[in-house]
Amino acid sequence: MIAPRAVQLTVNGRPVEVVVEPRELLVDTLRDRLGLTGAHLGCGHGSCGACAVLLDGAGVRACLVLTVQLEGAEVTTVEGVVPGGGTGNGPSGGDDLHPVQVALSHCHGLQCGFCTPGVVLTAVELLAEQPCPDERTVRERLAGQLCRCTGYAGMVEAVLAVAAETAGSDGDGDG
Amino acid sequence: MAMAEPTLHRKEDRRLLTGRGRYLADLVRPGTAHVALLRSPVAHARIRGIDVAAAAGHRGVLAVVTQADLEGHVQRLHHHLPMMPELRQLRWPLLADGKVRFVGEPVVAVVATSRAVAEDAADLVRLDLEPLPPLTSIDEALADGAPLVYDDWTDNVLLRLEIAHGDAASAIDGGTHPVLRRRIVHHRVTGAPLEGHGALADYDPGTGRLTLHASTQSPHFLRTVVAEALEMPESRLRVVAPEIGGAFGNKGHYLREEILIAALARRLDRPVVWSQDRIEGMTAGIHSRQQVHDIEIAHRADGRIIAMRAQLRADLGSAELYALGMAPALATAGTLPSVYDIQDYAFVVEGVVTNKAPSGGYRGYGQPQAVLSMERLVDLLADHLGLDPMAVRRANLIPDGVRPYVTAGGSRLDVGPLSEQLDEMLAACGYDELRERQAAERAAGRLVGIGVAQMVETTAANPHALAGQFGGYEMATVTVHPDGHVSATVGTTSHGQGHETVYAKLVADALTVSPDVVDVREGDTDAVAYGAGTWGSRSAVMGGGALLLAAERVRAKMIAFAADMLHEPTDAVTLVDGAFRAGDVALPLSMVANFATLHTFAAPSVEPGLSASAVFEPGNTQAFPDEQGKLNMAATHSSGAGLALVEVDAATGRVQVREATILHDCGRIIDRVIVEGQIQGGFAQGLGAVLLEAVGYGPDGAPLVRTLQDYPMPTAREVPVVRVLHQETPSVLPGGFRGMGESAAILAPAMIAGAVHDALRPLGVPVAQSDLRPPAVRDLLRAGGVGLDLDAIAQRALAGLPD
Repeated sequence: MIAPRAVQLTVNGRPVEVVVEPRELLVDTLRDRLGLTGAHLGCGHGSCGACAVLLDGAGVRACLVLTVQLEGAEVTTVEGVVPGGGTGNGPSGGDDLHPVQVALSHCHGLQCGFCTPGVVLTAVELLAEQPCPDERTVRERLAGQLCRCTGYAGMVEAVLAVAAETAGSDGDGDG
Repeated sequence: MAMAEPTLHRKEDRRLLTGRGRYLADLVRPGTAHVALLRSPVAHARIRGIDVAAAAGHRGVLAVVTQADLEGHVQRLHHHLPMMPELRQLRWPLLADGKVRFVGEPVVAVVATSRAVAEDAADLVRLDLEPLPPLTSIDEALADGAPLVYDDWTDNVLLRLEIAHGDAASAIDGGTHPVLRRRIVHHRVTGAPLEGHGALADYDPGTGRLTLHASTQSPHFLRTVVAEALEMPESRLRVVAPEIGGAFGNKGHYLREEILIAALARRLDRPVVWSQDRIEGMTAGIHSRQQVHDIEIAHRADGRIIAMRAQLRADLGSAELYALGMAPALATAGTLPSVYDIQDYAFVVEGVVTNKAPSGGYRGYGQPQAVLSMERLVDLLADHLGLDPMAVRRANLIPDGVRPYVTAGGSRLDVGPLSEQLDEMLAACGYDELRERQAAERAAGRLVGIGVAQMVETTAANPHALAGQFGGYEMATVTVHPDGHVSATVGTTSHGQGHETVYAKLVADALTVSPDVVDVREGDTDAVAYGAGTWGSRSAVMGGGALLLAAERVRAKMIAFAADMLHEPTDAVTLVDGAFRAGDVALPLSMVANFATLHTFAAPSVEPGLSASAVFEPGNTQAFPDEQGKLNMAATHSSGAGLALVEVDAATGRVQVREATILHDCGRIIDRVIVEGQIQGGFAQGLGAVLLEAVGYGPDGAPLVRTLQDYPMPTAREVPVVRVLHQETPSVLPGGFRGMGESAAILAPAMIAGAVHDALRPLGVPVAQSDLRPPAVRDLLRAGGVGLDLDAIAQRALAGLPD
């Protein structure tokens, strides 16, 4: 066994230091050391996307990242996608879900919920890059997030609904 | 403090959207021991020796366990079907002894302080194996002189069942009717829920109680199985199904790993967890659907089917699975005539054991194969006779009118008129116009096809005939607390179906309160005395039915209490909009709840407390076959008809589903959005099962599918939005519900296979198989004279490259 190493990183806006074996994966650090179990281990091979998190704002598979790679990095998990993490304890009280989360519920874009955290983060990342993607783009981007329950219709509709809302509020879309 | 709560569609959504759902692997506490299983690396071998010394000495290892260590402490498992004399009465261990019979069979359990350490140590175990010839197909296993998977059997057949309903033989062998003979081949796939199986056990030696969390569809059934194996009183065993990340029938069996984890926790006196990883799930989990159907149909010149005889063979892989992994094949045999009126029907069904992982349930439970085969046969018969396939369908549909219609096998179909359903679906699709469009596209050289399928679904079944125990009934308890909040507990489990939302709505309606004040709990054997769990499209019917009965009892009790408080007779008191009313007086429900529990003097003639339990047993199933082999599994049936429009790419064999419509009848709908979500999701699984997925094995018995990279499941790229239409023919059961969770997964493979058949019709190559992945479709195209067009393939490849 190679000696554990200390790594300092920022997770959901908070600085943390962990001491990990070089073989430890980010998904295990998040789940086992930091108690952030929203990143789900669906395959361990980067195929399913259930463990997707944002690393310095870009989507990665937490099962394909070694924690020792992350000195100084900033990681966002589903628990950190909005302040308060959607627990009802955030600064705005109960109404503290991300629009993507609300839209996923309205459009029935989730069933068992196991893939949902990865879907939320992927949609958040996409909409940050492109506030008004077309359906083809949404489907291409979500194609990396496997869902065995929904058949994707509600998920795609949800992302497009948030995009339409954005377009409407900018005054340049037809909503 | 009142919060501005965004309205979410389902009660479960907030926690799932925020990553706060607590799935099995999220429950692990520090100090829990982790299990890694050393699994057989070969398909078939005799075990000469197992050397665990190096593993046992590895730092962090707590125990290394083989079957020898379990003998005398844990009973072997069995199928519980001594009443089925044709079935080989098999008993199997938790860990392999004597022989290994498939790649992935668990041989040694290593328990350590972490999964990583346990896996490190498992690598140090030395297995001394003497290889034996592997059997990887039905043909190999049934060949003369084939090696035997079980040394004391005379062949490799677990069960051969021959049943004749009516007199198919004289119609088929009598020479008076033409006979069509076709083989339909169904390939092996797997349900592959995104969350693997898992078990977490905690034993308390002080009380002798053991708590087993398991990602299971039926916690009470699992409790019974574990209690028997561990020879423990059921009263000291609690089984909890936490949040479940998909199940689809795949988690409807009672795994040896689940029992092993309970046994290890009791032995080691500390919590023990096993989470199935993806490679274990794909290679040593549960596969499904591999069958070969040889079907003969005696028919008239106008396409009317007179009689049918079928030989159905299932490639089971390992037989060591409870509930019986062959049960879906028995369901296929029982439901093969599908929506068609065929009373003279005979079948032979054989479960063939091979050196592959066990097969078992997957959404539809044998019915997708039955519907696909029947719809293929109807098309093949129409082509053979030069008739319109829709005319052949109509000539054979179960007649509208008298219900229940009793099928050859004894199913009592209580569905609405099927020909009207078919007509309505076709009209909604603009069928004639679709055919015109297709003709134009065909003329332009495109391979476009339209496929139609219809089904009745067995829902809310009594599983006794297949499991040898258990019933189809359900239990529920409804409690109104002193603050007016309501607890509803029931013996089902939710794995995406939104039960909390649906059940809360039902109970809230019965008590005229808001669903917001109803908390639903399920999946816990301590919460309700017994229950059957969730499978077979049963929860709305059975869980909903039990809750309605329990809620009605509580309501009646509250009426009695309110009447006593108001000094009125009970029949003068009504419950309207959350208040008990008599004349001008109204008592809020929460006030009556408060008094009935905390200030019971107010109604001295009424028993205090507001909790009622109910058992819902529809009483209309027939659990045992009669002397003619007929039985009625389902308490009620749903029905549906669907149409798919596909285009086949001649160059690559890739099939694109361009449109899909499903008209469905699940009786009274509780939540339309959830029903449509089940249809959209079931359709996606059906699409995957024919166009993308296959579990393959090499000739040496090595699994070819180990990860999701080897097993392409449908993504957002391939699945179209299904247009969903409804009929609402109420069932006679409480609430008028019919089950529906599997319907689209049953319809979709048949719809798509029919559409591919239709697309290839101009080439004259029939589709008689479920595997329609690009290589299989290319084989069909080649048989139809469509050669390789390398330029076209190159163009497709370039078009598929990212911008």
